[in-house]
Amino acid sequence: MSETLLEMRKITKRFPGVLANDRISFDLLRGEVHALVGENGAGKTTLMKILYGLYSPDSGSISIKGGKLSIKNPKEAINSGIGMVHQHFMLIPPFTVLENIIIGEETQKFGILNEEKPAEKIRGLMEKNGLIVDINTKVEDIPVGIQQRVEILKILYRGAEILVFDEPTAVLTPQEAEELFKTFRQLTAQGKGIIFISHKLDEVLEIADRITVIRKGQVVKTLDGNEASKSLIAELMVGKPVLLEVKRPDVSPGRVILEVRNLDLKDYRKIAVLNDVSFTVHSGEVYGIAGVEGNGQTELISVIAEAAPIEHGDILLDGESVVNWDVRKRRDAGISHIPEDRHKYGLLLPFTLAENLTLGMHHKKPFVNSFQIINRKKIQEHARRVISIFDIRTPSELTPALALSGGNQQKVIVARELSAEPKLLLAAQPTRGVDIGATEFIHNQLMEAKKEGRAILLVSADLDEVMSLSDRIGVMYKGKIIKEFTREETTKEEIGFYMMGEKEHARN
Amino acid sequence: MPGIKLRFDRYKLLEIFAPVAGFLASIVVLLIIVIVVGESPGEALVAIYKFSLSSSAKVATILSVSIPLFFAGIAVAFAFQSGVFNIGAEGQYYFGGLIGAMAGIYLHLPAFIHIPVVILFSMAGGALWALIPAILKVTKNVHEVITTIMFNSIALALVNYLVNGPLSGLGQGKSLEPQTAKIQSTALFGKLNGFFRMLGWNVPDYVYLDYSLIVAVITGFIVWFVLFRMRHGFEIRAIGISLDVSRYSGMKVKQLQLSAFVISGALSGLIGLQEIFAIRGYYTYGIASGLGFDGIAIALIGKNSPLGVVFASLLFAFLKQAGYGLQFYTSVPNSVIYVITGLMILFIVVINEIVAAYIRTLRKKEAV
Ligand SMILES: Nc1ncnc2c1ncn2[C@@H]1O[C@H](COP(=O)(O)OP(=O)(O)OP(=O)(O)O)[C@@H](O)[C@H]1O
Ligand SMILES: [Mg+2]
Repeated sequence: MSETLLEMRKITKRFPGVLANDRISFDLLRGEVHALVGENGAGKTTLMKILYGLYSPDSGSISIKGGKLSIKNPKEAINSGIGMVHQHFMLIPPFTVLENIIIGEETQKFGILNEEKPAEKIRGLMEKNGLIVDINTKVEDIPVGIQQRVEILKILYRGAEILVFDEPTAVLTPQEAEELFKTFRQLTAQGKGIIFISHKLDEVLEIADRITVIRKGQVVKTLDGNEASKSLIAELMVGKPVLLEVKRPDVSPGRVILEVRNLDLKDYRKIAVLNDVSFTVHSGEVYGIAGVEGNGQTELISVIAEAAPIEHGDILLDGESVVNWDVRKRRDAGISHIPEDRHKYGLLLPFTLAENLTLGMHHKKPFVNSFQIINRKKIQEHARRVISIFDIRTPSELTPALALSGGNQQKVIVARELSAEPKLLLAAQPTRGVDIGATEFIHNQLMEAKKEGRAILLVSADLDEVMSLSDRIGVMYKGKIIKEFTREETTKEEIGFYMMGEKEHARN
Repeated sequence: MPGIKLRFDRYKLLEIFAPVAGFLASIVVLLIIVIVVGESPGEALVAIYKFSLSSSAKVATILSVSIPLFFAGIAVAFAFQSGVFNIGAEGQYYFGGLIGAMAGIYLHLPAFIHIPVVILFSMAGGALWALIPAILKVTKNVHEVITTIMFNSIALALVNYLVNGPLSGLGQGKSLEPQTAKIQSTALFGKLNGFFRMLGWNVPDYVYLDYSLIVAVITGFIVWFVLFRMRHGFEIRAIGISLDVSRYSGMKVKQLQLSAFVISGALSGLIGLQEIFAIRGYYTYGIASGLGFDGIAIALIGKNSPLGVVFASLLFAFLKQAGYGLQFYTSVPNSVIYVITGLMILFIVVINEIVAAYIRTLRKKEAV
């Protein structure tokens, strides 16, 4: 039996209107990956923030390697060997990787920064853990997956033994996730302990030695990794059996809603990010874009939704070119958008849920009257309705958006964009960070929207999601749609093959 | 839920407590300085009291002094709500006041039209002076702090030149201070002192509680209504939170910034009303200066909310009066008094910020 690194006992934390953690007990052994799963708002992040000294518990105790202690702030947490990789990275973009890692721990002599020693130490850590990064590049120039490595190096540099990962894979491609798990294995082999939070149960089953399920702030059960199954975990999480499948309605696609013609786009360095992209999406149809992240999907969505200027080509909504329209005109004409980065683009965090749920329609009746005066009653009614339909877990519609759990924030955005009753819905990673029950619900809502004759353009890093929802699938590679399939005529393997650009090479 | 209400109230209380704490701390510093310069702290306190709260006349004076401060605060706060740092209220009221005064001097209208007209001209002048920095910001991305500071100097120089040169009214008046011609009586602001006396508040004649007080009350209400009850204000507050989110939801971010900036300029134009149309009756570049900068501190202490600005401007008016009190009743040198009022403001702002930061961490710990 290996040593207990961490023991949290009977942790209770109450927020106004919510009991977020209700006598939760949780422990972590040396050399194990202990997964923490539960519905959105179950209290996972809260528990971890307590461990990291960001929240203070109302009651309960924490001991590390047998010694009881109270952690008042992140500094103390770090000193006790706890490291946390937040879902939103805490890096300083214009600083180099090296500077980001040593920040706050600089070694200096007469006020002059010594970068030699730290660089050596970091190289050692990189080799030992398979976390290879060029330490002299700026963080703003490296992709998300690599930034995460920097975060991990940062906490290892500070000597962490207990590593907390709150939904680390939500922003990763499946390949990057595999890399991360390799790193997990190397870390546990060195005797570190890892707490892993994820809504992707396949991943949890793959990597976790033990799995603790929490529901509504309470521990339901701690399972052994090899005695668990997806349906068992799901049932424990939700409290009743979960179907885990979408009912795809039989809808025959109608007229063309979105037509994209020969779209070209270059980025600020004059590198082509979209290259002669053409496709159509019909009413009542889901068009899925598959592809490794960073192959132009983000840019494609942003030229349609956000009115980003294009080099060449045309975008037609219901036969009308929207290229010269601003965002408001596009929205008013029936384009809705679930953005990929919900914090940056989706929510006004200090504003109430009610206000956030009408954002983008807030200028229309009945939310304002003819004199442009806000009708707060209507806004709140609308909010209450949407909150109950979408099962958003919140004390009230007047709660600020920042008080919601990550998954519930995502539900707010999905609910808002669907309640606008769009002609065309641009859904980028619509279920990122959302629990399985809610994922199922969102999928069914999308199918409902399809039944109502809406056109849906879906971008997702999750190939299963693309496969199960789409009628047609376009594979994007290096800014091009290199192949288009109907769902029936292809397989996951074949799409994966195209995603790597293999067929393109074969052809040349 | 009742729990939420309670929490909110507790933080509100702390927030209100912040300026009070800053105020008390600044009094302590004041007493220390007074002791250092060799005066009796007791006498100093008496002096302050005598000059600020000792009689209804003194209280009325504070209210009177707070009027231009209120306009300054609300002008800056409006821009702050949208994330625009309008440091140019100073230049905007110099210029706005001049335009308003021109309308008062050269237009011939009956009083019931003339007064609204000079108010609107003052606002238009202020707006105009904000317009160029605003356009530079939204089209060329030139930071407003730099442009507005430069425009403050330009306004000062321009007004100085105009009042000494083309618009000089010397020869009519007896004063040697460079000034414009007299504003027509139809555009002068009458006093409300009689009205207050009727209500039983004994406001002596030398205190200026004039029409600008009415303008202030109406302005405060309109600003509150626009910001918190109208779509335009909602969008202005939204861009103050996140430009990206606002843009994604279809708001015309640049237009909103421009309008918030220009409205802030228009509000700045009101700062000079009392001095020009009630107190002096002519325009001079010697109208009280520095109010635009006071406005920044007032907006900060008032948390950019109209009601907060009301309290903050009263507090500032009190500080100013306290300064005069020291000047009159003690032998504390003038320069030291400026230091003291400056320090008091600094203390209030700093303690305010410390408490705000403390509330933020409390919120983090307990949330909401
Ligand atoms: N800062 C806060 N203020 C008020 N309530 C909060 C705050 N943070 C979390 N909560 C509430 O506490 C509960 C637990 O939230 P938490 O973020 O721990 O959930 P989670 O399990 O991490 O969910 P998700 O899977 O969606 O990230 C939720 O009901 C949430 O609304
Ligand atoms: Mg969470």
